[in-house]
Amino acid sequence: MKLLTHNMLTSHVKGVTKGYPLLIKATEVKVNEVEFNPQFVSRMIPKLEWGALVQAAEELGHRQDLPGELVQDYEKNEDFLKKVHRVLLEVEVIEGCLQCPESGREFPISKGIPNMLLNEDEV
Amino acid sequence: MDASEENNVKAVRRSKEEKKLLRKQIKASHTLLKHEGIHTTPQLTRSLVVANGGLGNSVSREELSAALKEMGEVESLLMPPHKPYAFVTYRCEESALKAYTHLNGQKLQCGESSVMLYLAYVNSVTYEEEASVPLPEGLVLLEDFVSPEEEALLLAAVDWSSTNEDVTAQKALKHRRVKHYGFEFRYDNNNVDKDKPLPAGIPAECLPVLERCLRNGQINVMPDQLTVNQYESGQGIPPHVDTHSAFEDTILSLSLGAKTVMEFRHPDGRVVAVVLPGRSLLVMKSESRYLWTHGITPRKFDMVPACEQQSPDHVTPEPGTCSNLTLSKRGTRTSFTFRKIRPEPCRCAFPSACDSQGAPSTLSPSTPSPPALPCCHADAARLEEEYVHRVYDAIASHFSSTRHSPWPRVCHFLSSLPPGSVLADVGCGNGKYLGVNSEMIAVGCDRSSALVQICAERGFHAFVSDALNVPLRTASCDACISIAVIHHFSTEERRLAAMRELVRLLKPGGHALIYVWAFEQEYNKQRSKYLKDHNKEHNGKENLTKNTSEDRREPHGKSAIQNSGHLEEGYEPVGKVTDGKLSVHTNRTAFNTQDLLVPWHLKEGKKPGEEESGDGVKRNKRKEKSKKVLTNQTRIDSNPGLSPGFDASMSPGLRLDTDDATHSPGSKPSPSGTTQTSSSHLKSESESHLTAVFHRYYHVFHQGELEQLCSQVGGVKVQSSYHDQGNWCVILEKD
Repeated sequence: MKLLTHNMLTSHVKGVTKGYPLLIKATEVKVNEVEFNPQFVSRMIPKLEWGALVQAAEELGHRQDLPGELVQDYEKNEDFLKKVHRVLLEVEVIEGCLQCPESGREFPISKGIPNMLLNEDEV
Repeated sequence: MDASEENNVKAVRRSKEEKKLLRKQIKASHTLLKHEGIHTTPQLTRSLVVANGGLGNSVSREELSAALKEMGEVESLLMPPHKPYAFVTYRCEESALKAYTHLNGQKLQCGESSVMLYLAYVNSVTYEEEASVPLPEGLVLLEDFVSPEEEALLLAAVDWSSTNEDVTAQKALKHRRVKHYGFEFRYDNNNVDKDKPLPAGIPAECLPVLERCLRNGQINVMPDQLTVNQYESGQGIPPHVDTHSAFEDTILSLSLGAKTVMEFRHPDGRVVAVVLPGRSLLVMKSESRYLWTHGITPRKFDMVPACEQQSPDHVTPEPGTCSNLTLSKRGTRTSFTFRKIRPEPCRCAFPSACDSQGAPSTLSPSTPSPPALPCCHADAARLEEEYVHRVYDAIASHFSSTRHSPWPRVCHFLSSLPPGSVLADVGCGNGKYLGVNSEMIAVGCDRSSALVQICAERGFHAFVSDALNVPLRTASCDACISIAVIHHFSTEERRLAAMRELVRLLKPGGHALIYVWAFEQEYNKQRSKYLKDHNKEHNGKENLTKNTSEDRREPHGKSAIQNSGHLEEGYEPVGKVTDGKLSVHTNRTAFNTQDLLVPWHLKEGKKPGEEESGDGVKRNKRKEKSKKVLTNQTRIDSNPGLSPGFDASMSPGLRLDTDDATHSPGSKPSPSGTTQTSSSHLKSESESHLTAVFHRYYHVFHQGELEQLCSQVGGVKVQSSYHDQGNWCVILEKD
């Protein structure tokens, strides 16, 4: 699971109102090399929840020097974009789980895939 | 002697090279014989081994004998079963020499083909005779039970034309034809509907024969049920015990037409092959009826003992006819099986095979009857678990291999999204659409972890989730797609819920594209690819359908032609489900009902199946020159074995082709047991190996139905709607 995916995921356990962002508990993290496309990254940024991204990167120990706030004029800041690219698309959780911040319910991540299926009683 | 006219061996003038080659072949032949423990000698003797002239080479006794007799008096001709050689012993050495000179390296014409014979002298001929095998207890074979005239009368008494479409289907699929009188024997539960007698009872023409049986004491009571089976060469019936609870003890089987070999199998492993000549009556009682299974292997040739009729003048008859075997080509055989309906439960002495006394079916595990349409969420969820989720997980990689070409109109939708758009593909399958537009931020989810795994392998962002409950925030997506997903939900409520969830994800002004399989496969007089390929495939090929309807009572589909270019306001649900049960669809034919199970033939092995219809890319990626196989072999509901549409023992080389359509056939894996059954019965010697059939549930949509569903969602309007290659499609815009 890459952090781009994580940034979009929310807990949907019945009754939960504050299910976002999910907490990450990773037991295996991998860093891949992904082709850098500055334009693409630049377009992604406005669609992201920046805070959640930073928090997630922090949890995985891959935050490095990612700023807590979005820098201005990031579109031309290749350095910055590269950092974003790395955190968003290169860091990958292979094994672990996602935890609902409100209910504590854990969703497993296995072979890089989060399983968000709920049980019948949680729907 | 002039060898060229009188016998069937042709003498050939050979060049030097040919002679050299011949010497090599002869040497090779001797080596092979040595492996068999046959030692040849260059010295002249009265006996010769005839390599390539054996039953194992499909050489019949008659043909070989004719050629050998030309050379002199044959004392004996030994043809060991299954072996590629024979032994001939002549009265005198002179004849043996003649045979050697004239036949070695020569071609023998056998029927339509020919074999090259290699002869060599042998010092001794050794062959162990098989001890004659007794018939199963209670089994009696009475030859010449009816005269040729009676035989003709009986065969004429069967009117095949009056039976229903089943017969046509059977014929087309090259399976034995079956007709019942008195009571219908049902192949879905291997039993008889005792409360529903058939309009036609046992034909009057059969009465003299039955009265004869009564007089002789073969039976004490007149039978009241008759099943006529007609077997062409190559057809058979899998081993089975006639259901105890359905019929009384004695069963009479009258064989008309060609002879065949019936095999009886005891639970302890003993097998007895019984030749059933034409006009013979087989009486099965007691152990042979209740415990031994009987069956006819689908074959074109049987190995049968050679009769003495044609023995040469001076030949001493071999003790016991078992040692003289020959090949008997099968012809058409018609059996009349007379039985008496059993009104009470069976109380035989063979409980292990008795359904009244608790034994399971003698065939592979019986399967539950087809599911009914669910009426509540829990049932629906269970149905979908069984007939959608488990199936996709089981067929994932095969399925994925048939889903590699994105549909053009879907691509168009995706490509027209502004760069940087966030897209959710709900029910993304193998991620086919996740990479179409590299400018968008695409995330996919699917219920099948196996399929999501494939997405991950391809580097896409995907997770496992249910379409009814997508773990994405409300209004977080610029666009959503749901391609061939909602039709897997088994109630309208759930289909609506899936749509609502899709809309929830959209930002205001966002768009959703939904594709569902259409009931109407023909639109504006254009047949969908799904149907088209059906026709393409069966032009000039043996099989009409790749997957026959599992329910033999289901009529074959007729296409519903819709000419209207514009949409209708409402729609009428057509095609009620028979008996409330879901019927299984015949692939590549028009739909009969909206709720159905669609077969998928899982093929394991290198070759991917066909592409789904509707793909812009060229259809057929299969490289195999396959014979379209009798797919009804895979028909598994209940007890398939006995139905005319099913043959358990398959001849080699048969293989199930994966059939694919817009949405390929699917299968239902265990615990329903079906695939175990079919898997265990289906073997093929080609690259694709064990196959199984899965059933996937679909609710196919009528024209207008999708729009009507959308109108119930609220907060969206239908921007456009269209028909695309057998699918109904809508583009929704959120307010």
